[in-house]
Amino acid sequence: MTAAIQVTGAKAAPVKAGLPIDPIFKQIRDLVYKVSGIFQLEEKLYLLVDGCGRRMNQLGIRTPREYWELLTAHASRDAELRHLLNELTIGETCMFRSQPQLDALRKVILPELVAEKTKQVVKRLRIWSAGCSTGEESYTLAMNMLEESERLLKGWTVEILATDLNDRSLETAKAGTYGDYALRSTSEYFKRKYFLTVDDKKLQARPEVKKLITFSRLNLQDDSKMLFMKGMDVIFCCNVLIYFDGTSKSKVVNHFFSNLNFGGYLFLGISESLMKLNDQFHLVHFPGAISYWKPSLKSGKL
Amino acid sequence: METVSQEWQAMTRSVADKIRKSVGQIENMPAIPAVFLPLMRLLNAPPERVHLHEVIEMISCDNTIAAQCLRVAGSPLYGLAKPPESIKGAVISLGLRRVETILLTCCLGQVFPTEGWQVDPAVFWCHSLGCAMVCRHFSEKLSGADREKAYMAGLMHDIGIMVNGMAFPKEFAETIKHAIHEQIPLAEAELATMGLTHCETGRALAEKWHLSDDIVQVIAHHHAVERSEKAHPLVALVHLSDLLCRMRGLGYGYYERQKVDLADDPAWSILLREHSDLEGVDLVRFTFELDEAVGSIFEMVSTIFGSAAVRT
Repeated sequence: MTAAIQVTGAKAAPVKAGLPIDPIFKQIRDLVYKVSGIFQLEEKLYLLVDGCGRRMNQLGIRTPREYWELLTAHASRDAELRHLLNELTIGETCMFRSQPQLDALRKVILPELVAEKTKQVVKRLRIWSAGCSTGEESYTLAMNMLEESERLLKGWTVEILATDLNDRSLETAKAGTYGDYALRSTSEYFKRKYFLTVDDKKLQARPEVKKLITFSRLNLQDDSKMLFMKGMDVIFCCNVLIYFDGTSKSKVVNHFFSNLNFGGYLFLGISESLMKLNDQFHLVHFPGAISYWKPSLKSGKL
Repeated sequence: METVSQEWQAMTRSVADKIRKSVGQIENMPAIPAVFLPLMRLLNAPPERVHLHEVIEMISCDNTIAAQCLRVAGSPLYGLAKPPESIKGAVISLGLRRVETILLTCCLGQVFPTEGWQVDPAVFWCHSLGCAMVCRHFSEKLSGADREKAYMAGLMHDIGIMVNGMAFPKEFAETIKHAIHEQIPLAEAELATMGLTHCETGRALAEKWHLSDDIVQVIAHHHAVERSEKAHPLVALVHLSDLLCRMRGLGYGYYERQKVDLADDPAWSILLREHSDLEGVDLVRFTFELDEAVGSIFEMVSTIFGSAAVRT
């Protein structure tokens, strides 16, 4: 049989050999999960240890125990957790970051949406990359949709809406020019088919890929603007919610629920969870990926 | 499961009849290892009636199993500072219940040949062991659930797949080709190509082995929980754990094109009726914890069956 399905994070990534991890880091891991919904797998705990280490250096803190106290003390808690989360998500972005999410989108979700919408006059799909940063996710989605344009999505119009708060990130995203680091998980096939060579170190997305995406500035906490984001079929919002406090987070998630069409899906980062923020979404599993589903009208599960 | 045309049904009916007949007389099916049933009895006995020396003696009778047991007990999975050198040492440092589950796993591993399978044995054992561990972990979150029985049920739920692979190699090879090509669940492919599933063949073997009734129920109905006559919560638990394993890289090694909504599954409500604390289980965190265990499951399978067999 074919090789076993690869689980994100399931491949052996040895923690630095010979260095036992202070149990306090597991407590920090649990705290981070409780506050942000981000779960650091045991084999990736070294990322958390490194992140804490960098923060401790900056603050001049010597022991993990002292750092734990800072993280849990009422006065410093929120600010410090935000700093730590920043450390944990550094350099996370690249194209094709989560193949299982893309597989779920192409193999299960698209056929389902196409079947459900087939009777509609306008055959249109809208995907929103909420908090698109420098655009890697948006281009990945565009390329994957183009791959289906002659098959499943023949005769369909696909719109990818990519929004971010940061103007500088949006400029980079619009330029669509990327180096090795952003392209480290992109196969030669996709590079050749969807990019032009700028120089020996950089590739730029071809106009037909760019054409699919509309980049614009949006603050997810701007309620009046969020109300206008209608008719989404799929929303990707990876590692963005972690920057909001509990109340704003749940407000954003409730907006997402209204922004989605019935039968639509919300994807978060690969180790991120919605927890108890919204009980209308159904948690669904695809091979190697989880997603939040707004039940379709005919499913009778609303 | 799925609707098939009538002619097609007639065609497969003859195949199914043939297969049913041969299941009835599974002559060449492996016998159960001698220590297996007595161990099962021990597992079900109240702890105060278990004599340690009896257990140790029983295990020591079978050299291969004793050696495997020590190897597994010494693996990093159990995190012992010093690997046990004797069965007695293993029992004392790990506890009786732990040693028993290791033994049962080793026993089952020994029953079936390591070659000539239609399914990669390492993939099969990773799934079974994964499901066993998920079942136990799951039941730890539900008050009143029997953890060790859950482990046992998870471990044994798919023995029918081995029966199919050994008794009907040609038909089963077709089944697997069909499943991989269509990216559908194995049981669905079995039904389409063979007219029956590993649930029926597994039940035949389980009855031949005189496994306890609730384990038989799990084997027979883990794909259609509502059809089980009894042991509902246990069958439901295995059904959900099996699905979760298949969604997290511990399935049968191919992409299953499906969406799983565990909390909306009939098995969920069956389990919830018995264990109201199921409501409080954080399924996402549970999933992440399973991901953490995947590595150690591959490791355990390679410890029991030799490293060559395992692909990750």
